[in-house]
Amino acid sequence: MNDFSSSLSIAASGMEAQASRLRHVSENIANADTPGYRRKMVAFEAVVQDGEKSGAVRSGKVRLDPADLTRILDPGNPLADENGYLDGSNVDLVTEIADAREAQRSYEANLRMFDQTRQMAQSLLALLRR
Amino acid sequence: MFIKPEVLAIASSLSAHAAARQALIAENVANADTPGYRARDIADFAATYREADGAGMTRTRPGHLGADDSAANASAPQVSLSEMSPNGNSVSLETEMVKSAEVRREHDLALAVYGKSLDILRASLGRR
Repeated sequence: MNDFSSSLSIAASGMEAQASRLRHVSENIANADTPGYRRKMVAFEAVVQDGEKSGAVRSGKVRLDPADLTRILDPGNPLADENGYLDGSNVDLVTEIADAREAQRSYEANLRMFDQTRQMAQSLLALLRR
Repeated sequence: MFIKPEVLAIASSLSAHAAARQALIAENVANADTPGYRARDIADFAATYREADGAGMTRTRPGHLGADDSAANASAPQVSLSEMSPNGNSVSLETEMVKSAEVRREHDLALAVYGKSLDILRASLGRR
Protein backbone atom coordinates (compact mmCIF):
# COMPACT_ATOMS: atom_id res chain seq x y z
CA MET A 1 0.00 0.00 0.00
CA ASN A 2 3.01 2.25 0.49
CA ASP A 3 3.64 2.22 -3.25
CA PHE A 4 0.05 3.17 -3.87
CA SER A 5 0.04 6.11 -1.50
CA SER A 6 3.31 7.40 -2.94
CA SER A 7 1.91 7.06 -6.48
CA LEU A 8 -1.17 8.99 -5.45
CA SER A 9 0.81 11.84 -3.93
CA ILE A 10 3.22 11.97 -6.90
CA ALA A 11 0.33 12.09 -9.39
CA ALA A 12 -1.30 14.81 -7.30
CA SER A 13 1.93 16.84 -7.29
CA GLY A 14 2.02 16.51 -11.09
CA MET A 15 -1.53 17.80 -11.36
CA GLU A 16 -0.75 20.71 -9.07
CA ALA A 17 2.32 21.68 -11.12
CA GLN A 18 0.37 21.52 -14.38
CA ALA A 19 -2.43 23.60 -12.87
CA SER A 20 0.01 26.32 -11.82
CA ARG A 21 1.48 26.28 -15.32
CA LEU A 22 -2.00 26.74 -16.75
CA ARG A 23 -2.58 29.62 -14.34
CA HIS A 24 0.50 31.40 -15.67
CA VAL A 25 -0.60 30.77 -19.24
CA SER A 26 -3.98 32.38 -18.55
CA GLU A 27 -2.21 35.28 -16.84
CA ASN A 28 -0.10 35.78 -19.99
CA ILE A 29 -3.14 35.64 -22.26
CA ALA A 30 -5.08 38.08 -20.09
CA ASN A 31 -2.15 40.53 -20.26
CA ALA A 32 -1.50 40.11 -23.99
CA ASP A 33 -2.45 43.76 -24.55
CA THR A 34 -0.91 45.23 -21.40
CA PRO A 35 1.84 47.73 -22.37
CA GLY A 36 5.28 46.61 -21.22
CA TYR A 37 4.13 43.16 -19.98
CA ARG A 38 6.71 40.38 -20.26
CA ARG A 39 5.38 36.85 -20.49
CA LYS A 40 5.97 34.61 -17.49
CA MET A 41 7.62 31.25 -17.97
CA VAL A 42 7.43 28.30 -15.57
CA ALA A 43 9.90 25.43 -15.44
CA PHE A 44 9.28 22.23 -13.47
CA GLU A 45 11.75 20.79 -11.03
CA ALA A 46 12.00 17.62 -8.98
CA VAL A 47 11.16 17.87 -5.30
CA VAL A 48 14.12 16.96 -3.11
CA GLN A 49 13.23 15.71 0.34
CA ASP A 50 15.85 14.82 2.97
CA GLY A 51 18.60 14.96 0.38
CA GLU A 52 17.00 12.60 -2.12
CA LYS A 53 14.48 12.98 -4.87
CA SER A 54 11.01 12.05 -3.73
CA GLY A 55 9.74 11.61 -7.30
CA ALA A 56 7.24 14.42 -6.93
CA VAL A 57 7.38 17.53 -9.09
CA ARG A 58 6.66 21.20 -8.52
CA SER A 59 6.72 24.31 -10.61
CA GLY A 60 9.93 26.21 -10.03
CA LYS A 61 10.72 29.88 -9.98
CA VAL A 62 8.85 32.06 -12.45
CA ARG A 63 11.07 33.76 -15.00
CA LEU A 64 10.22 36.59 -17.33
CA ASP A 65 10.73 36.09 -21.03
CA PRO A 66 13.66 38.32 -22.06
CA ALA A 67 12.44 38.55 -25.68
CA ASP A 68 11.98 42.03 -27.16
CA LEU A 69 8.70 43.77 -26.54
CA THR A 70 6.62 44.59 -29.60
CA ARG A 71 6.66 48.23 -30.69
CA ILE A 72 3.21 49.60 -31.41
CA LEU A 73 2.57 52.78 -33.39
CA ASP A 74 -0.16 54.68 -31.57
CA PRO A 75 0.55 58.42 -31.37
CA GLY A 76 -2.70 59.10 -29.51
CA ASN A 77 -1.71 56.92 -26.56
CA PRO A 78 -0.50 58.77 -23.45
CA LEU A 79 2.31 56.20 -23.06
CA ALA A 80 3.69 56.84 -26.57
CA ASP A 81 7.16 58.40 -26.92
CA GLU A 82 7.97 61.38 -29.15
CA ASN A 83 7.92 59.19 -32.30
CA GLY A 84 4.46 57.86 -31.48
CA TYR A 85 5.61 54.35 -30.49
CA LEU A 86 4.92 52.48 -27.26
CA ASP A 87 6.02 49.13 -25.82
CA GLY A 88 3.46 46.37 -26.11
CA SER A 89 3.79 42.95 -24.47
CA ASN A 90 5.90 40.07 -25.74
CA VAL A 91 3.10 37.52 -25.40
CA ASP A 92 2.58 35.31 -28.44
CA LEU A 93 -0.93 33.92 -28.30
CA VAL A 94 -0.08 30.88 -30.45
CA THR A 95 2.68 29.86 -28.03
CA GLU A 96 0.38 30.32 -25.07
CA ILE A 97 -2.39 28.22 -26.61
CA ALA A 98 0.09 25.45 -27.43
CA ASP A 99 1.42 25.60 -23.88
CA ALA A 100 -2.11 25.38 -22.49
CA ARG A 101 -2.85 22.34 -24.64
CA GLU A 102 0.29 20.62 -23.42
CA ALA A 103 -0.56 21.41 -19.81
CA GLN A 104 -4.00 19.92 -20.32
CA ARG A 105 -2.58 16.77 -21.86
CA SER A 106 -0.14 16.25 -19.02
CA TYR A 107 -2.80 17.03 -16.44
CA GLU A 108 -5.07 14.38 -17.92
CA ALA A 109 -2.25 11.83 -17.93
CA ASN A 110 -1.62 12.52 -14.24
CA LEU A 111 -5.31 12.29 -13.48
CA ARG A 112 -5.47 8.97 -15.25
CA MET A 113 -2.57 7.62 -13.19
CA PHE A 114 -4.26 8.83 -10.03
CA ASP A 115 -7.52 7.16 -10.96
CA GLN A 116 -5.88 3.89 -11.93
CA THR A 117 -3.85 3.74 -8.71
CA ARG A 118 -6.99 4.39 -6.73
CA GLN A 119 -8.81 1.58 -8.51
CA MET A 120 -5.93 -0.83 -7.95
CA ALA A 121 -5.85 -0.03 -4.24
CA GLN A 122 -9.60 -0.43 -4.07
CA SER A 123 -9.56 -3.85 -5.69
CA LEU A 124 -6.80 -4.90 -3.31
CA LEU A 125 -8.96 -3.88 -0.36
CA ALA A 126 -11.92 -5.72 -1.90
CA LEU A 127 -9.99 -8.95 -1.29
CA LEU A 128 -10.24 -8.29 2.42
CA ARG A 129 -13.98 -7.86 2.27
CA ARG A 130 -14.68 -11.31 0.88
CA MET B 1 -2.61 -30.27 2.68
CA PHE B 2 -1.11 -26.91 1.71
CA ILE B 3 1.71 -26.22 4.07
CA LYS B 4 2.92 -23.23 2.15
CA PRO B 5 0.66 -22.39 -0.76
CA GLU B 6 3.17 -21.33 -3.39
CA VAL B 7 0.49 -19.87 -5.62
CA LEU B 8 -0.43 -17.31 -2.96
CA ALA B 9 3.20 -16.23 -2.65
CA ILE B 10 3.51 -15.85 -6.43
CA ALA B 11 0.27 -13.88 -6.66
CA SER B 12 1.19 -11.52 -3.85
CA SER B 13 4.65 -10.83 -5.26
CA LEU B 14 3.07 -10.20 -8.67
CA SER B 15 0.76 -7.61 -7.16
CA ALA B 16 3.67 -6.07 -5.22
CA HIS B 17 5.62 -5.84 -8.47
CA ALA B 18 2.64 -4.18 -10.16
CA ALA B 19 2.38 -1.65 -7.33
CA ALA B 20 6.09 -0.81 -7.44
CA ARG B 21 5.96 -0.37 -11.20
CA GLN B 22 2.86 1.79 -10.94
CA ALA B 23 4.72 4.09 -8.52
CA LEU B 24 7.54 4.53 -11.04
CA ILE B 25 5.09 5.17 -13.88
CA ALA B 26 3.29 7.80 -11.80
CA GLU B 27 6.67 9.43 -11.16
CA ASN B 28 7.50 9.43 -14.88
CA VAL B 29 4.14 10.93 -15.80
CA ALA B 30 4.38 13.61 -13.11
CA ASN B 31 7.84 14.54 -14.41
CA ALA B 32 6.84 14.46 -18.08
CA ASP B 33 7.74 18.16 -18.40
CA THR B 34 10.67 18.39 -15.98
CA PRO B 35 13.85 19.41 -17.82
CA GLY B 36 16.62 16.82 -17.60
CA TYR B 37 14.43 14.06 -16.15
CA ARG B 38 15.11 10.50 -17.37
CA ALA B 39 12.26 7.97 -17.40
CA ARG B 40 12.74 5.04 -15.01
CA ASP B 41 11.35 1.53 -15.08
CA ILE B 42 11.87 -1.84 -13.40
CA ALA B 43 12.38 -5.20 -15.09
CA ASP B 44 9.35 -7.36 -15.82
CA PHE B 45 7.97 -9.75 -13.23
CA ALA B 46 9.58 -12.89 -14.64
CA ALA B 47 13.07 -11.44 -14.17
CA THR B 48 12.47 -10.01 -10.69
CA TYR B 49 10.70 -13.11 -9.39
CA ARG B 50 13.41 -15.45 -10.62
CA GLU B 51 15.94 -13.27 -8.87
CA ALA B 52 13.99 -13.17 -5.60
CA ASP B 53 13.24 -16.88 -5.79
CA GLY B 54 16.90 -17.77 -6.23
CA ALA B 55 17.25 -20.27 -9.04
CA GLY B 56 20.64 -21.27 -7.65
CA MET B 57 21.59 -21.79 -4.02
CA THR B 58 19.85 -19.76 -1.38
CA ARG B 59 22.04 -17.21 0.30
CA THR B 60 21.15 -16.17 3.82
CA ARG B 61 24.32 -14.21 4.59
CA PRO B 62 26.38 -11.85 2.46
CA GLY B 63 29.47 -14.10 2.71
CA HIS B 64 27.77 -17.20 1.32
CA LEU B 65 28.83 -18.73 -1.96
CA GLY B 66 26.64 -19.49 -4.89
CA ALA B 67 24.37 -16.52 -5.16
CA ASP B 68 25.33 -14.49 -8.15
CA ASP B 69 25.16 -10.75 -7.92
CA SER B 70 24.57 -10.10 -11.58
CA ALA B 71 20.80 -10.51 -11.32
CA ALA B 72 20.61 -8.70 -7.99
CA ASN B 73 19.86 -5.44 -9.73
CA ALA B 74 16.82 -6.67 -11.63
CA SER B 75 14.42 -5.12 -9.13
CA ALA B 76 16.31 -1.82 -8.90
CA PRO B 77 14.92 0.97 -11.08
CA GLN B 78 16.67 1.32 -14.40
CA VAL B 79 17.00 4.49 -16.38
CA SER B 80 15.66 4.07 -19.87
CA LEU B 81 17.66 5.64 -22.65
CA SER B 82 14.94 6.33 -25.15
CA GLU B 83 15.03 9.41 -27.32
CA MET B 84 15.09 12.71 -25.51
CA SER B 85 13.28 15.95 -26.10
CA PRO B 86 15.41 19.10 -26.46
CA ASN B 87 15.21 19.84 -22.72
CA GLY B 88 16.78 16.48 -21.82
CA ASN B 89 13.55 14.77 -20.77
CA SER B 90 13.07 11.19 -21.95
CA VAL B 91 9.48 10.54 -20.81
CA SER B 92 7.01 9.53 -23.50
CA LEU B 93 3.44 9.77 -22.24
CA GLU B 94 2.28 7.18 -24.77
CA THR B 95 4.80 4.61 -23.57
CA GLU B 96 3.82 5.30 -19.98
CA MET B 97 0.15 4.77 -20.78
CA VAL B 98 0.93 1.42 -22.44
CA LYS B 99 2.98 0.40 -19.41
CA SER B 100 0.23 1.43 -17.01
CA ALA B 101 -2.31 -0.69 -18.92
CA GLU B 102 0.13 -3.59 -18.59
CA VAL B 103 0.46 -2.97 -14.86
CA ARG B 104 -3.29 -2.85 -14.49
CA ARG B 105 -3.64 -6.21 -16.20
CA GLU B 106 -0.86 -7.68 -14.07
CA HIS B 107 -2.48 -6.46 -10.89
CA ASP B 108 -5.95 -7.72 -11.85
CA LEU B 109 -4.46 -11.10 -12.72
CA ALA B 110 -2.66 -11.32 -9.39
CA LEU B 111 -5.76 -10.43 -7.40
CA ALA B 112 -7.94 -12.85 -9.40
CA VAL B 113 -5.49 -15.70 -8.85
CA TYR B 114 -5.20 -14.85 -5.16
CA GLY B 115 -8.96 -14.67 -4.69
CA LYS B 116 -9.61 -17.93 -6.53
CA SER B 117 -6.90 -19.74 -4.57
CA LEU B 118 -8.50 -18.57 -1.35
CA ASP B 119 -11.84 -19.86 -2.65
CA ILE B 120 -10.28 -23.25 -3.35
CA LEU B 121 -8.75 -23.36 0.12
CA ARG B 122 -12.09 -22.48 1.61
CA ALA B 123 -13.88 -25.11 -0.46
CA SER B 124 -11.39 -27.71 0.76
CA LEU B 125 -12.29 -26.74 4.30
CA GLY B 126 -15.94 -27.42 3.52
CA ARG B 127 -17.04 -23.80 3.61
CA ARG B 128 -18.36 -21.68 0.85
